Amino acid sequence: MKPPMLARLLLLTVAGEAEGEFVAGDLHEEFLHLCATRGRPAGNRWYAWQVVRSVVTLLGLRLRSGEAMQLALAALSVAVPLLLLDRLWCFVYSQIPLKDGLDRAPGFLAVNVLYVCICSALCGSAARSFQRAILIAAVTAAAAAFALWPAAGETPAIYVWLVLLTAPASSLLVFTWRRFG
Amino acid sequence: MAKGESLGEFEYLVLLAVLRLNDDAYGMRVRREIAERTDRDVTIGAVYATLDRLAAKGMIRSEMSDPTPARGGRAKRSFRLTGAGIQAVNRSRRELENMLEGLAFPLPRGSR
Repeated sequence: MKPPMLARLLLLTVAGEAEGEFVAGDLHEEFLHLCATRGRPAGNRWYAWQVVRSVVTLLGLRLRSGEAMQLALAALSVAVPLLLLDRLWCFVYSQIPLKDGLDRAPGFLAVNVLYVCICSALCGSAARSFQRAILIAAVTAAAAAFALWPAAGETPAIYVWLVLLTAPASSLLVFTWRRFG
Repeated sequence: MAKGESLGEFEYLVLLAVLRLNDDAYGMRVRREIAERTDRDVTIGAVYATLDRLAAKGMIRSEMSDPTPARGGRAKRSFRLTGAGIQAVNRSRRELENMLEGLAFPLPRGSR
């Protein structure tokens, strides 16, 4: 017998990796007890209501566990250097007289891709669970997209796709390699 | 007394529940113990947040048990009071007794 799926999904989403396991186990145990004594609908209602009422406190616990800091670090370490490097390139390029448009050299773009790759891999290696690794991968991809935004349309599409794909991929690959390698 | 050593009301209740449950003090049992004895509708999230805070203050320590089918294949985290936790409970009880001393209960209705 399983608790209501939506409530389980909500619990998985809001609870951190440590608390998620224990809270879900505790709720499951009580859910089975309630189903046996008061019936399945009562068990379902109780489970869902407990999860809904615990959302704020579980999110607070999650923030205190250092997860927010890890995700913020992942986002900043990908986005800020990419933005700064691009601004630096624009500044240097603007000093060249008689230029036509703003061209980013292939070498510069390759360095950016390599940087994103290494940085995301480092962030992924710090993850201790699959759930956290997925989150870090999503955050690095979002941060890369944010950093690419100002240069949208001025860089080759292949570069944009490479950055957007290598960020989460390298993060997940390193996590998988550390976990199962 | 240093800041952080004092107990909030719910922290006091949680520590007492852990003390009462002895070897069987885990989130849901603590929640049930408080709900049954105080008639409060306590959420599991509030219990875990308080247990986490008490662990950070060094008043309780936790240990994991193996996953069981009754818990959907998940592990259990049991709690025990530390020396600091026992001291905090004793101190809170003494403070409460001192404050209650000389007062007659139940208090009459209306303002004093």
